Amino acid sequence: MNALSELHLHLDRWIRWRRTRRGLTWGVRGLSLGLLLALLWGLTGTLQGWFVESEFAAFVTLVSLGVATLTSMGAALWPLPRLQAARDFDRAFHLQERISTALELHAMPTLVPEELRRRQLKDAVDAARRVNPQRSLPLRIRPLEALLPFVLIGLILFGYAQSKSFFQETQRARAVEQVIQEQSERLEELLKEVEINPALSEEQKKALSAPLQQALQELKQNPTQEGAVSVLVKTGEQLQALSAPQAEKTLQALEQTGQELAAQEDTPLQAVGEQLKNGNPIHAAAELAKIDPSQLSSQETRQLTQQLQQMAQAVQENNPQLAQQLNQAAQALQSGNAAAAQQALQQAAQTITQASQQQIMNQAARQAAAQVQQCTGQVLAAGGGNTPGQATSSAGQSSQGNAAAGSGKGTGENPNAQAGEAGSSSNSPNNQPGDGGEKTYEQIYAPSLLGGEGGPQVGLNSGQGEGGQVIGQSPSAPIDSGQSLVPYTEVLGQYEELNRRAIESGQIPLEFTQIIRRYFDSLK
Amino acid sequence: MSELSIEQFRETAAQIEREVGKVIVGQQEVVRHVLVSILAGGHVLLEGVPGLGKTMLIRTLGQALDLKFSRIQFTPDLMPADILGTEILESAASSSGIEQRTFRFRPGPIFANLVLADEINRATPKTQSALLEAMQEGSVTVAQKTYRLEEPFFVLATQNPLEMEGTYPLPEAQLDRFFFKVDVNLPNVNEMVEILERTTGKETASAGRAATGKDIVEMRTLARTVPAASHVKEYIARLMLATHPQDENAPPLVKQYVRYGVSPRGGQALLLGAKVTALLAGRYNVAFEDVHAVAPAALRHRILLNFDGLAEGIKTDAVIAELLKSMPK
Repeated sequence: MNALSELHLHLDRWIRWRRTRRGLTWGVRGLSLGLLLALLWGLTGTLQGWFVESEFAAFVTLVSLGVATLTSMGAALWPLPRLQAARDFDRAFHLQERISTALELHAMPTLVPEELRRRQLKDAVDAARRVNPQRSLPLRIRPLEALLPFVLIGLILFGYAQSKSFFQETQRARAVEQVIQEQSERLEELLKEVEINPALSEEQKKALSAPLQQALQELKQNPTQEGAVSVLVKTGEQLQALSAPQAEKTLQALEQTGQELAAQEDTPLQAVGEQLKNGNPIHAAAELAKIDPSQLSSQETRQLTQQLQQMAQAVQENNPQLAQQLNQAAQALQSGNAAAAQQALQQAAQTITQASQQQIMNQAARQAAAQVQQCTGQVLAAGGGNTPGQATSSAGQSSQGNAAAGSGKGTGENPNAQAGEAGSSSNSPNNQPGDGGEKTYEQIYAPSLLGGEGGPQVGLNSGQGEGGQVIGQSPSAPIDSGQSLVPYTEVLGQYEELNRRAIESGQIPLEFTQIIRRYFDSLK
Repeated sequence: MSELSIEQFRETAAQIEREVGKVIVGQQEVVRHVLVSILAGGHVLLEGVPGLGKTMLIRTLGQALDLKFSRIQFTPDLMPADILGTEILESAASSSGIEQRTFRFRPGPIFANLVLADEINRATPKTQSALLEAMQEGSVTVAQKTYRLEEPFFVLATQNPLEMEGTYPLPEAQLDRFFFKVDVNLPNVNEMVEILERTTGKETASAGRAATGKDIVEMRTLARTVPAASHVKEYIARLMLATHPQDENAPPLVKQYVRYGVSPRGGQALLLGAKVTALLAGRYNVAFEDVHAVAPAALRHRILLNFDGLAEGIKTDAVIAELLKSMPK
């Protein structure tokens, strides 16, 4: 190896060591910078509600290590011209400009006599050989620079500890948002079900779809808990309003009459009675329309007259129009006007068909209203202090549509459903306390008289051993079997008064009082 | 250039210092600066109070270098012709018996290799200026005739900083022609004892011959070939510019107390002196520490203080020290 090659070898070794040192120095500085950024950014984000605990930790780790890595790599790989490196080498080890001069002389060999250049190069190589950069200049970090990351880590941990409530608030807000999203999806499914329901006419589909579509739009525009509850409650009312109890009562009366008519053998309305008895009012209407009074004997005409009067009497209270039509037919038969009788019978058949269709509409509207009310319950439950896991769990299984909303007594279709406790939903046996790996529950507040006169305190067995008991109230349910029996406007004042008393008594945690107030305001 | 010549450079220089050291006690830095100046081909102004051996040093150097030495004692009535020489009328009889008269140039004491201009500031400016051409061009012009001075040619001048009455401070142009200005300070106790011992005994020491004029010229040529890295030269240039108060890199002391800074000739002196210093240190390239070693001697007489600086007694050495300290390498 000639002297020049050896000089370059020493220089390369120095450059590698220099890059390593620079990488370490700037890596530590970058770590401090990253921690500082993470501290400022992380705490700002926490106050803004961007992070939950795990995300905060991940963010801080990612930013600090990311910045440290970037600065370290950048410093290590930063361009370092050889001549500059040679000058640094001279300066670092007091080589009295031997190396840099040798490099320059090598680049411009004509500047000095050959002999002097040769001797200068040899002198430079000898000097470089005596230097061991790794031993003479070990990796070292300034104490202050080494201390700074620990100080910043301490500040971050302090900020982390102080931000617990913000994390919980963020977690709750996200749970609410998720539940609202899920309920929106449920409403969309419900909308689709309405649109493909073959039993409904186009007008009925439109009538049912309109409030659902409006609810979806409003949920998108105002995805807060209060807003969602307000929208869902309003939608439930609108759907409830679409049902007409008169049609149901008419059909019930006709069904009872049908039993009697079916028992009268060889009479003109026996077939009609059979259909009514079997709950086929449309078929019954068709049978009624088929009757031709001109073909009947005088005895059959008398029997038909009596049966029509009997039917008219049964529906007189709930459907006077039908009763009138039936009576007109009976009078026409008595007066021997067969044509008028047949016309009246056909009108009556049409009215029965309409009542039947209204009944289908009623059922669809009630079903939709029940589902919307369940959605309301899920949204309320999400805001009542549930953990996101519980909220998701309940929301995910709520398609069974059987538990009471938020508080109240669950009496749904699912026989396995437990009574819902305040702030929690137990729609399914799979959603028992203690599931999901959680062993303990924080105590959940349940207003003592919310929703009625209150009920006995119940202890629910978690079914998982150490899950413990959840203490709660089982007040009377505002919704029973998915049906609202009392318009909420009639009980709102009572509920509000009870709630006001509960807040004033100090039973409700402070962070929930404002939410509850806003909720009641939204209901007005 | 042979290997021997480089080694010979160091050996000869060391031999000169040894020979001078036989007579001059202490003052190693003064001797080194004078030697550096001679090997770089420059003139030296020695400044110090009387009795410190300035004249002795130069006389000893003359002995050690085997050069033609002349001493001029500068006095107020000294005339330029007394230094340079003059044309005299000579009569001579020709073969035909007719007397012929011709002017013949009679060289003055300047026609030597090593000229000691003792107490140079005592002569009038006109006489002082007689040295200008000789110092810069290496020639003397008398009666419209130019006479070349023999190489090597050095002027080693002395001046007394205390006695200002009846003196004529050297003008800036004259000062700038001195390669180095060397301050001669009082020796320490041990050196003083040694001086007393050497100078009050029966025998007085004398220096032997260490180099010839030819050796000096060759050494001077070799010194000029020593390489300096570009960043070292750039450093010297920045240093030069920073001695001017209007320069943005000038330190506060320069901005406050300096009237005028160093000329390019000062930079040349700095680099040449550093080259010689590097060779004397056994190195084949100029280092920053070589520059620092010669900077005070090369710059102190080229930095002119303003009224504030003079009034407050600021030393140019302090300015130079500040300059060297503040200038990044």
